[in-house]
Amino acid sequence: MKKMDLVSGYKGVVGLVFGNENSASSEDSYVERLLDRISNGVLAEDRRSAMTELQAVVAESNAAQLAFGAMGFPVIMGVLKDERDDVEMVRGALETLVSALTSLDHVKGPKNEVQPALMNTDLLSREAESISLLLSLLSEDDFYVRYYTLQILTALLTNSPNRLQEAILTIPRGITRLMDMLMDREVIRNEALLLLTYLTREAEEIQKIVVFEGAFEKIFSIIKEEGGSEGGVVVQDCLELLNNLLRSNSSNQILLRETMGFDPLISILKLRGSAYSFTQQKTINVLSVLETINLLMRGGSEADPGRDANKLTNKTVLVQKKVLDYLLTLGVESQWAPVAVRCAALRCIGDLIASHPKNLDAVSSKVLGEEPQVEPALNSILRIILRTSSMQEFIAADHVFKSFCEKNLDGQTMLASTLIPQPQSMSHDPLEEDVNMSFGSMLLHILTLGESDGDLEACCRAASVLSHILKDNMHCKERVVQIELVAPMPSLGVAEPLLHRMVRYLALASSMKNKDGKSGTAGFVQLVILKLLVTWLADCPTAVHCFLDSRPHLTYLLELVSNPSVTVCTRGLAAVLLGECVLYNKDGDSGKDAFTIVDSLSQKVGLTSYFLKFDEMQKSFLFSSVKSTQSHKPLTRSNAASMAEIEDVDENDLSDQKNEDHPILSSMFDAHFVSFIKSLEADIRENIVDVYSHPKSEVAVVPAELEQKSGEGDKEYVKRLKAFVEKQCSEIQKLVGRNATLAEDLAKTGGSGSIQVEHRASGASERVQAETLRRDLQEASQRLEMLKAENTKIQSESSVYQNLAAKMESDLKSLSDAYNNLEQTNFHLEKEVKALKSGGSSVSPDIEAIKAEAREEAQKESEVELNDLLVCLGQEQSKVEKLSSRLLELGEDVDKLLEGVGDDIGLPEDDEGEED
Amino acid sequence: MSYAYLFKYIIIGDTGVGKSCLLLQFTDKRFQPVHDLTIGVEFGARMITIDNKPIKLQIWDTAGQESFRSITRSYYRGAAGALLVYDITRRETFNHLASWLEDARQHANANMTIMLIGNKCDLAHRRAVSTEEGEQFAKEHGLIFMEASAKTAQNVEEAFIKTAATIYKKIQDGVFDVSNESYGIKVGYGGIPGTSGGRDGATSQAGGCCS
Repeated sequence: MKKMDLVSGYKGVVGLVFGNENSASSEDSYVERLLDRISNGVLAEDRRSAMTELQAVVAESNAAQLAFGAMGFPVIMGVLKDERDDVEMVRGALETLVSALTSLDHVKGPKNEVQPALMNTDLLSREAESISLLLSLLSEDDFYVRYYTLQILTALLTNSPNRLQEAILTIPRGITRLMDMLMDREVIRNEALLLLTYLTREAEEIQKIVVFEGAFEKIFSIIKEEGGSEGGVVVQDCLELLNNLLRSNSSNQILLRETMGFDPLISILKLRGSAYSFTQQKTINVLSVLETINLLMRGGSEADPGRDANKLTNKTVLVQKKVLDYLLTLGVESQWAPVAVRCAALRCIGDLIASHPKNLDAVSSKVLGEEPQVEPALNSILRIILRTSSMQEFIAADHVFKSFCEKNLDGQTMLASTLIPQPQSMSHDPLEEDVNMSFGSMLLHILTLGESDGDLEACCRAASVLSHILKDNMHCKERVVQIELVAPMPSLGVAEPLLHRMVRYLALASSMKNKDGKSGTAGFVQLVILKLLVTWLADCPTAVHCFLDSRPHLTYLLELVSNPSVTVCTRGLAAVLLGECVLYNKDGDSGKDAFTIVDSLSQKVGLTSYFLKFDEMQKSFLFSSVKSTQSHKPLTRSNAASMAEIEDVDENDLSDQKNEDHPILSSMFDAHFVSFIKSLEADIRENIVDVYSHPKSEVAVVPAELEQKSGEGDKEYVKRLKAFVEKQCSEIQKLVGRNATLAEDLAKTGGSGSIQVEHRASGASERVQAETLRRDLQEASQRLEMLKAENTKIQSESSVYQNLAAKMESDLKSLSDAYNNLEQTNFHLEKEVKALKSGGSSVSPDIEAIKAEAREEAQKESEVELNDLLVCLGQEQSKVEKLSSRLLELGEDVDKLLEGVGDDIGLPEDDEGEED
Repeated sequence: MSYAYLFKYIIIGDTGVGKSCLLLQFTDKRFQPVHDLTIGVEFGARMITIDNKPIKLQIWDTAGQESFRSITRSYYRGAAGALLVYDITRRETFNHLASWLEDARQHANANMTIMLIGNKCDLAHRRAVSTEEGEQFAKEHGLIFMEASAKTAQNVEEAFIKTAATIYKKIQDGVFDVSNESYGIKVGYGGIPGTSGGRDGATSQAGGCCS
């Protein structure tokens, strides 16, 4: 469709641009004249000057570009095709094409105006033939011919990449020619790099062919030549091309790994002499290499069955080639490096070790610094977490620990084993470069800081690390439960379990929020601590016991669940935590067993509204927006600069954001955690309903005990029974109380959400009653159904009979009509006969005979008909009799009906009147 | 990783003749009875030894379907060797050999070594092309010939190595200008004569390629 409009569109647009037919046509005719001189000119000199003029006018005016687009392509392509020997003409033609495809920035028209340069690229790229012609020009000896040709191809690719990618694939050796340009003079090489970058974007087959043609060798040799990470924009272009070739392309990834290896790539990360200075270009270069490493770690496309194996091998080989050392240098030791680089390096470390046992070992055995000031790399990363002022950097470093602890029981245990409280550490600041401080002491120290310094944020970062260490590791959970902290002031005496301290921070965070009014930080502090507690208590009765050891904890949690001023997720996680107190409660102590908790839950919160908290959380932004893999934006020339400057813009507008958008939250609520919460939720629901529907019976009914014991006096027996009855009475009272609570709960929710009906009928007796009622209801409704069916059956029968009666009536009526008619005819005939007899005997002697004959015939006929009628009537009569009796059965007034029928015979016109 | 020479191979032939399986058998030493249709081109690599010299083979396994022809043609020129495969149980795959050869002659460099392989020779009871016919065709067109089975691994190793040996001999005879990489041959930097067959390619990429 568009194709057809285009050319005709030009003329219209030409007029539109200038709003003046004359000037438009003057541009048109000027271009037309020039084109005519080029194609029909005889003197070579004149044709060349026409070409120069054409180029000049096309380079300067929108209208000329449009005019050229409408008429010029065949002429120019003709020159390129047939006049290869005239280098000057070919150059001129190519330069004219370049101009025709280049937007004129200085012309400022309305936005929706047609861009002539865009239209021209569209027109030119339509012809596969012209692309193959252009590719063939790349083999010409003249530098400018190759240079302009590359520029034209790049312009075409920028505007219609898909079409050009397809066209180039169909041209034999098309890509080979382009690849040869990489070995050309510098200017051409750089131009070719750009072109290949566009060409390989999201075109897997082209990516493979380019690699087949030796792209990797060429790219790395150019990077080396240009100075590696210190190099200029050419290095950036090389890396962008490299990334295009490796993105989701396992075939190319394997080839790089198996042929050149990852060494040339990793060596770009090696910082040289002037390492301290990070220009923006260098930042972009290093970020691009980190992106390459990322792409290798993500393997091929989703559909590739060998994807996981390839990913794993890539990770193994990367670490074998010492990439961890370079990444640690960049991410941990180079505090002068830009935040963006440090964060990207940390994220790479995390991804390298995630679920890769060998690499986990490698990272845990790494030490940083110089003798004797060496410390384990993990300690240094923890230091970053605790100390950085950048939220991005915290998230990146936290990601390292998350990956380190994922499915790594030994690693978690190793980290947890150093968690030993050291009272003396209070006296000095351990964050001074004390490399002798153990991982655990550092973590614990920060965890205890929250109270004295009010630095809850640092505390919450430490809590996040702690939650990774505890995740799915029973041994660590139980071990850390035992940790007791010395009270900040010795005079206050009692030691406090670490877990209690965390709960206290949770409460502190909400009071902090109340104080300063802005909820951003406090909100996420609460969530992080809640996440820690939820992780901790999961499947761990010891932790549950410890948590419930302090009565106010439960009270606080119950308040938090129904606190309208905290976020949906805070309430939801608090609800999960409460659920864990029930689910993993192995306590026999009646003060804090599962039953007691469920009881107070139903009294203070209400079961329905409690379960509602889960649903609300599931629906919240954090849960619904979870993606299993973060979408990566590829680094390109256009966005590289902004990517390099992420510094900490996010934090500046933090206060404007809602709690839910806090950057850390999306990394905290990852797919793992969300699915963990979801599975936990199902268990909690089931468990709570179960606990609630089996109230602990205080009175054990043992029939034998109700009997009078031998040797027991009547009086004592009565007394004993009385006591028993009293006990039962009080229990019944309690159950009635619970019933009331439930009823209230039910009323409050107003029957919304029928899904939860089953959960509400929790009490055993209520359940039973509901069951009976339901059965009754079912029975009643069944009976009702049956009666209804019977009713309709009878109704339909009666209507059938009514119809029959009506039909009969009309039959009778038509019969009587017929009879009347016959009589009338007969009468007429007789009259005629009479008339004929009286007046016609003289006319003809024959008439008498004919008359007699006719009469005889008519009489015969009427006799037959009469007979038929009589038979019919007899039949009808018996039918009517039968129907009457049936109608009588059905309670119809037969007489009345038949009365009407009788009248009908006599007065056929009146039948409508009698009917009701 | 060091090698004396690097040879680029392509594997061509009708769809379903077992090209990908031959490659998988050669690089991973395993057979996959049900193999996904190859889309475009897939890559595999292995190190072999010829004349005590480590030689790296880079192998591009192409899609046999007609719709991918224009893509796969791009790989002809830069290849030093080609394995042209047919299926001895399907006559038509043998009949198409001429058109494949024509394609190769048109797009590849003239010195490309072509090995004709009659695959699936384990299915002798369903044979539709006799060994003699294969030999005759190879002789007529100047190809090396072998019957092989990707399933039993019979002659798979031999086919790849014999092709390499032929290329190697051509190099020794000075047929190629080895500095010109467009012939699909590259001179390595650290070829240490005497090392017995390096197998790094096959071991570290288990399951990664040819899929």
